[in-house]
Amino acid sequence: MSFANTFYNALVKRNSVYVTSIFAGAFAFGVSFDLGVSSFWDNWNKGKQWKDLRAKYVQDEE
Amino acid sequence: MATALSFRKALSAPPTVRTLASGVPSAPLVNLSVRSPAGHGHGHHGAVGPRSDLPAKFAGSVSLSTSSGLVSRSFTGAQTSGVTQHRLLHTTAVVKDAPNVPNFEPYQAKSSDNNRALSYFMIGSLGVLSASVAKSTVTEFLASMSASADVLALAKVEVELASIPEGKNAIIKWRGKPVFIRHRTQSEVEEARSTDWKSLRDPESDESRAKKPEWLVMLGVCTHLGCVPIGEAGDFGGWFCPCHGSHYDISGRIRKGPAPLNLEVPQYDFTEGDEKLIIG
Repeated sequence: MSFANTFYNALVKRNSVYVTSIFAGAFAFGVSFDLGVSSFWDNWNKGKQWKDLRAKYVQDEE
Repeated sequence: MATALSFRKALSAPPTVRTLASGVPSAPLVNLSVRSPAGHGHGHHGAVGPRSDLPAKFAGSVSLSTSSGLVSRSFTGAQTSGVTQHRLLHTTAVVKDAPNVPNFEPYQAKSSDNNRALSYFMIGSLGVLSASVAKSTVTEFLASMSASADVLALAKVEVELASIPEGKNAIIKWRGKPVFIRHRTQSEVEEARSTDWKSLRDPESDESRAKKPEWLVMLGVCTHLGCVPIGEAGDFGGWFCPCHGSHYDISGRIRKGPAPLNLEVPQYDFTEGDEKLIIG
């Protein structure tokens, strides 16, 4: 109850604050979504990507 | 015509005759075969219709009694008509505002504050999602228009400066266009710098065209119609375009001929130690 009121009073009551927080949230969401997806990708493809394999081959060349 | 006549006779007896929807007059429950009492008729008339001089059966009757002789009855409260009408007498039913409304109380929100916060939270979340979708749509679309990796790999060219002796030209290909690199001699530099460049067609000083005075780097595309000028030719000791006769001086500035602008200077840089020239 009180949390709902706090949320409403802090963010929603003024439309300028509401819209601004929506855009800020979109920015944060975009960054965190990108980070999350790429870390998931790296985790899923662990040991298959060039950055994982590079150490093996570059040392051979040098 | 005969039927109409018989009906006209019958009409005199019952006062209540109604007209059917088809227009035919209807007189139900009327006995059209009433005969005259015994002894009166002559027995050869047949049924031509009810007698108009006799009261109807519901209005009275004549009967023969063994005790009191002939008895005549007449009903004072008799029906005036054998026609019965069924009238559905009713009043308009009370219209309730919302009949049979169930009790919604268990489903109603306990707290309107929570409801309001949840609604705005859902709206805001949708706004966040759609804003990031719109942003990534636009950026991905714009990124699809930027140069791809293979183009970027060709975007820079390195040139070993030691391979170009003084007083010689080198022509290399960069982004599909020729690039002139001139290792100028000291006298050429002095000639280029001493020119009164402010009176030229495209006034540009040699200092602004060459980062290092002995190295002149410029695109080998004539600014007139895009031919490739010939080096160490022309009236000014620089370049000469054979297509339409534009003369460029030793700093690549247009001096004579139809070309409107000086030869273009690309982005370039020297590596540390001046070993290499990087164009792009």
